[in-house]
Amino acid sequence: MHIPDGYLGPATCGFFYAVMLPIWALASRIVKKTLKAKQVPMLAIGAAFSFIVMLFDIPIPGGTTAHAIGAVLIAILLGPWPACIAITVTLVIQAFLFGDGGILALGANSFNMAFADVFAGYYIYRLVSYRSKPQSIRRVIAAGIGAYMGATLAAILTAVEIGLQKGKYSPYGLKEALPAMAGASILVFGWVDALLTAAVVKYLQSRKDTLEIQPS
Amino acid sequence: MKFSHHNFIQRAIIKTINFFKESIFAQEYALQKGFLQWFPPQVKIISVLAVIVGTLLTKSIALLFVFYLICLLIASLSKIKIGYFLKRTWLFIPIFSFFIALPAFFTDFNIAVLFVTRVLVSTSYIILLSLTTPHTRLLKTLRSFGVPQVFVMTLGMCYRYIFLFAEVIENTYLAVKSRVGGAIHYKHGQHIATWRIASLWQRSLQLNREIYDAMLSRGYSGEPRVLDE
Repeated sequence: MHIPDGYLGPATCGFFYAVMLPIWALASRIVKKTLKAKQVPMLAIGAAFSFIVMLFDIPIPGGTTAHAIGAVLIAILLGPWPACIAITVTLVIQAFLFGDGGILALGANSFNMAFADVFAGYYIYRLVSYRSKPQSIRRVIAAGIGAYMGATLAAILTAVEIGLQKGKYSPYGLKEALPAMAGASILVFGWVDALLTAAVVKYLQSRKDTLEIQPS
Repeated sequence: MKFSHHNFIQRAIIKTINFFKESIFAQEYALQKGFLQWFPPQVKIISVLAVIVGTLLTKSIALLFVFYLICLLIASLSKIKIGYFLKRTWLFIPIFSFFIALPAFFTDFNIAVLFVTRVLVSTSYIILLSLTTPHTRLLKTLRSFGVPQVFVMTLGMCYRYIFLFAEVIENTYLAVKSRVGGAIHYKHGQHIATWRIASLWQRSLQLNREIYDAMLSRGYSGEPRVLDE
């Protein structure tokens, strides 16, 4: 899911930075205004949590493993704007310190995972769980659906961005990139994210004293 | 990605330990008195970005190889062991990209070579930047590029929590492994992994309260201040 540098042309990278700059500015303004002082460390903890979630390989049938992004989970737990900042921070650390995901491609990666995945997944969760009780099973299902849709959308966007570079930067076009990436998400990665998000929400529901899921 | 589901706990521990090792190695190189360590992080970030843009703009494979040789030369002058640097840069992204491009080598050889070489050169320069700059300084430098304060503060704090969480995960996994033994069904494995992640979030909430109290006791009034070490 993380696009390294070399996959996208400079114009595409510039375009996504131009799209993300106002989103990041808005996110930092909203978070500064709405986040209570005592929730400030939670932002950093959310980012570190997401980093660690990406380290978890979850076994799936057939002997393979996959890892989740955790973007929708963070959005459910912190809200979409803080989640946007938290996932961006995770991507910055991965790109600058570990070479995982490009520096020039950071705008595109953030658009896919810190914006599209977070917001689409979160609002699908809100829609499906509309007027449900915090402890209801509908919340758990909604979290799973939101995470699945968010991760799949991020994979489709990644495939489109790479597929549109055919000839100049990528050896493959949309015809090859879309089924390969979206298919992997629809069949495997999306389910891992869904399973993880739903299970964590279910677990947190059973812990009433520490449940801090965002209201729907 | 493909391996037996029986040893996923072990793999997660190995991954965590590797993460620690990588970070420690990176810090060791960053503190050496080599060529690139002499430059301020701002200069290095701008130069690396310029090289990556150059890499994307050129269509000459020969020029890309010159970029790569220069990268290896700078790595050597910066007292980075070439064997370690090659291992660190080739694994995982360029090799993964090579396998992605493999079928294209038979249909459009030129674009396939360009693709893999661009990825290799870009990744190598980013790793070079990361290895020759202390991580905390590198993250702090982003502030001079106009990155909003909330991002810089979160970056600095997040970097420290990653180590803390990784340690917690490592200890808990070792404890789990000592109880479940070697073989484990994937469904049970999923249950354990999810339970670990959820309990990590619980610990995070507790940690949040403790950190906020610590911040208050150090005079935090809503405006974060970044100290120079």
